[in-house]
Parts: sequence; C-alpha cells; structure tokens
Amino acid sequence: MNDREDTPFFIGYLQVPQKLRKLLLVTALALVGFLLGAGLLIGRTQDTDPGGGAFRFDYGQQTVSGVVENLAYPLFHVTEGNDRLKPGQTLMLTGSGKDGVSNRTLPMVGKLATAKGIVLERGSLEMLQLAGGKRGLSEAEKQSSVSVPKPEDLGRWKLTGEICDGKCLSGAMRPGRGLAHKACANLCLFGDIPPVFVSTKPVKGSEFLMVLGPDGGALPKEAYDFIGQYITLEGAVARHGDMLVFKMDPETIELAS
Amino acid sequence: MSVKYVPVQWNRNKWMYDGFLLVGVGLFLGFFLHIRPDFLSGNDPRINAQILNARAFGVCAFLMLSIILSIGPLARLDPRFSALLYNRRHFGVMTAAVALTHFGFILNWYFAFSKSNKYEALLFANTNYGQIAGFPFEMFGLFALICLLILSTTSHDFWLKFLTAPVWKRLHYLIYPAYAAVVAHVALGMLQDASGNVFPALFVVAALIVAGLHVAAFVHDRRHGDPVAEPVAEGWFRICKASDIREGRARIGLLPNGERVAVFRQDDKLSAISNACAHQNGPLGEGRIVDCLVTCPWHGFNYDVRSGRSPAPFTEKIPTYNLKVHDAEVYVDPNANEPGTYVEPVEVPPLEGEA
Repeated sequence: MNDREDTPFFIGYLQVPQKLRKLLLVTALALVGFLLGAGLLIGRTQDTDPGGGAFRFDYGQQTVSGVVENLAYPLFHVTEGNDRLKPGQTLMLTGSGKDGVSNRTLPMVGKLATAKGIVLERGSLEMLQLAGGKRGLSEAEKQSSVSVPKPEDLGRWKLTGEICDGKCLSGAMRPGRGLAHKACANLCLFGDIPPVFVSTKPVKGSEFLMVLGPDGGALPKEAYDFIGQYITLEGAVARHGDMLVFKMDPETIELAS
Repeated sequence: MSVKYVPVQWNRNKWMYDGFLLVGVGLFLGFFLHIRPDFLSGNDPRINAQILNARAFGVCAFLMLSIILSIGPLARLDPRFSALLYNRRHFGVMTAAVALTHFGFILNWYFAFSKSNKYEALLFANTNYGQIAGFPFEMFGLFALICLLILSTTSHDFWLKFLTAPVWKRLHYLIYPAYAAVVAHVALGMLQDASGNVFPALFVVAALIVAGLHVAAFVHDRRHGDPVAEPVAEGWFRICKASDIREGRARIGLLPNGERVAVFRQDDKLSAISNACAHQNGPLGEGRIVDCLVTCPWHGFNYDVRSGRSPAPFTEKIPTYNLKVHDAEVYVDPNANEPGTYVEPVEVPPLEGEA
C-alpha cells in the first residue's frame, strides 16, 4: 500500500475533502502571499533611475535660428537663441519617432535656418525634435554671413563606454541604453537618428560624443553588433561647436571587461 | 465530463482556483507598479510607464510559469497536491495572457515609432546571433510566447478530443522548451541590465526550484514507480497479490509494450483496465472507485471498471484487459481488448479486516 492510497481523494466537481481543505487553503494563501511579496520586493528594488534624460515638454516648443552643418548626421549651431537655447550651443536634430532629418537638412547646409521643436536633454547633451515640415525647419528669409564653426581637432583617443542612439539616450526612452534596449537603439540608428558614444571618462569635459565612421560617414555596420555593450574603441575626436564628434575606427572595437 | 463542448464547465472549485489566481496576479502587479519609492513620494516616475508595465507583466509571467511547472512534480512527490492539477489549464491560459500583455508593451514601445512594420522590426532590429552579450534575446521570448499561445489555444477539451490525448500531451510538452526559452530570454535580456540583486536572485532560485522539483520527482518515481509486470507462462503477466489491492483501489503494472494496466478491486471482484484516462491520459490507477465508478484523479472522469465505458450519456471508452487469479496472484493478459469491451470481473477472497 503506498501513501497515495491513504491520501484524501480530490474530485474537482465535488466538495473538497475535509482533510484537504486546510492544506489547499494554506497553499492558496501562500501563493497569493508569495506573489504579493514578490511584487513588492522586486518592484521596490528595481532600477527606476534611467539617468536624467527627458523630453522637455515643460519648456514648451523652442524656436531658434542657426546654421546647419553637414555631417553624416546634421548638427545645428545656434546663432540666435532664447532663454533655454543660447547662441553657441550645438544641437543634434531628430524628427518624430525613430526618424532622422538628414533629408530635410541637406538643402540647408551652411545656410541660416530657423528650427522649431521640442528639446530633449540629458546633461550637456541636447537634441531638438523638429516639428513637421517647414514649420520645423525652414531657411531663414534673410541670409546673413554666418558660417559653420571650424572644427577643432582634439587628436586620437581610446575610449571606453557604450554606443547608443542619441534620441533614446537623450530621454525619448527611459531607460534608453543598455542591452535590453539594444533592438530599439538599432531601429533608431537604422532610421538615421544620430549615434552617441557615452564615455565612462569625460573627454575634454564631455561624456557624450556623436559617432561617425572613420571617413566621416554614417555609423559603420560593424558597430551595430556592439550597440548597447560596454566596449573600448579608438578614433579621432574633434569639437564641432560645443559638440564632440568621434570618428570611430571599427577595427579597434573590443568588448571591455 | 461533458457530452457537449462549452467554453468552461464552471464549478465552485474552479471559481475558487481562478479567484485566488486573479487576486495573486492583481496584487503582484499592483504592488510591483505602485509601491515604489518614487510613486509613494509623489514624484513622477523617471522610468517610462510602458517599461514599468512590461517589466511587471514579464516578471509576473515568469513566476506564474515557474509555479505551473512546479505543480506537476509536487503532486508526484506529495499526492495531496494533485488537487492543484485540477484547473491548471486556467493557470496556463492566464499566464499566456500576462505574457501577451508583456509582449504588447514591448512591441508597442521599443519596436514602434519607426517606418518599419513593428512585427518585422522585431525580427530584424537585432541580428547579433554570433555572441552571447547582445544576443537577440527577444527571439527566446517570442518563441516562448508562441508556445504559450499554442498551449492555451489548444487547452480546451475540443482540441484534446480532436488531436487525441497522446498527441495533445506531446504537444503540451512544449511547456518545457517554452520555460527554457523564458529563462534564456530573462538571462540575456533583463538580467544584463539589472542593477540590483533581488530579481536576479529570485530568478535563479525560481529556476532552480523548478529544476530541482523535476529531478526529485524523477528520482521518486524511479524508487516508488509502477512495478514492471513479471512474465509467466502462456503469455500472462503477474501484477501483484490479490490481497495487495484494497477495496475501491488499484495496483498498476507496467506491461512489456510500455502500456500500464490498472487492476481494481470492487466488491471483492477484480477488473483490469488501461491506466490511461481517455481525457488527458491521467493515471486511473491512482484514482478511486467512487459510486461504483473508477474516477480519474486528474479531472474526475468516470468509467465502469468492468467495461471501460463512461456512464451514459458520456461516451468515453478505454481498453480493458483479461485477468485471472491463481494461487492468490493476479495475472493479466497484456493484449488489451478493444476500448469498451466488457470483461467479467474475477471474484477474490475478501480482504482481512475489510470483510
């Protein structure tokens, strides 16, 4: 005779045997208690600080004038700003969603333009999400003699950190970096959103550098395998306005420990 | 049991089962989402609500799946927990719904807002299959979700009847690769970015408990499993002594063809039927004779032990076996009769103390 034969017999559509009631009630309450406790514990201890990046809807829509620089991803050098965006600041530009704006900025390279949109801000990193159509970016009616700031060569650097998409990193998604976010970052980069390298140690005062290929082109395809990962890589750093631009050498990418 | 298909044959126990589940899931989600320091202090959550929701539903689905997979081996180790097997399908369907919600939050957040179709984007956004760090862990989650949806869709008795119990059971073993995929999905995804130790620790403990219970149940079954029927002359196989079988209970024997036979005693007469219930192949020999009918321990399906037929109006039938008793030993002919074949029970001496 095995112990199974002495166990109270449960039949689902009949009343629970008296001898099983207590056990089943305790089991059910333990299950509920476990789920409650797990929810409380995991919820309270999860990482809820994705960094300081955010859409600044509280600033309202910003309108600034400036000059567009033609890199693989456009930069906007503010010449006439406002309380939030000062002359001399350099902004990355993006469209809505996961779309870049290179096709809109190309006809305006080197010209004075007016940009309107919502700011995304993460520390010293600033991006402007342009409003749609000409309302978001238009050539200024009066062209004055403005020019793109001359880049300052800062030499070759070996950096450790992570390649992210500039928009999510700036606060479009919180968190907007890391391996769990990798596929989203790839989609943004496929959509022409500027890539940004987040360096563990500041480079000339900034931990954020816009990333280009070694020839100044778009992010090399080799780099896509390392998005969101902790890596080291080398390349040439230059300052464009107040934005650092990093021409990465894809052959130097290594996973960092 | 039913003679027609209805969405759910509700009864009090099912209401209780589902009620406790819903309360547990509701409390998990409520506490996960709303009892956080930033929420309690009235500050805006710095993390996106979509991500918080995705985490909450994802972790909940993992824990639910871990609990579901623990019920089976737990019931093997302690038969009192067999009651938890009843209505486990509702647990599975609810888990699939929670997992689908997690998928929805991820798909409509991380894979939305681009010019690409979000379902296509899920497949091509990360193709870094060559390395562990940065592996497209979403594919593991997608595989697990598809498995869960197949299992929940086919969980109804209509599909059980349509596919037949053996095929249905094999299909539902998909739960194991699904769980392995969920473990890989979490390990290569959320854990890679986890900054605290609580969830990683709980994750490892839960996965180890599931694995440990299955190993323990396997060892238990090896030690206490059904005895192999012994071959004797003229093709008969010895099962046990007649006195080993208590009134209203059965002894199970493993036949050479891999089938199991359950020999029941009813009113001091023995009858042999297949051990596999026609419903989900539940172990009839671990059941009882209740109101003159063999009752399956899983879902209470009933059979006349002499004919293997369910009482009218039900139509389920299982094979019967010819048996004989010689020198107080019970022997079974391993060649099963057609399902529903009547076999005259064999009278045996009453048990001592039960006469």
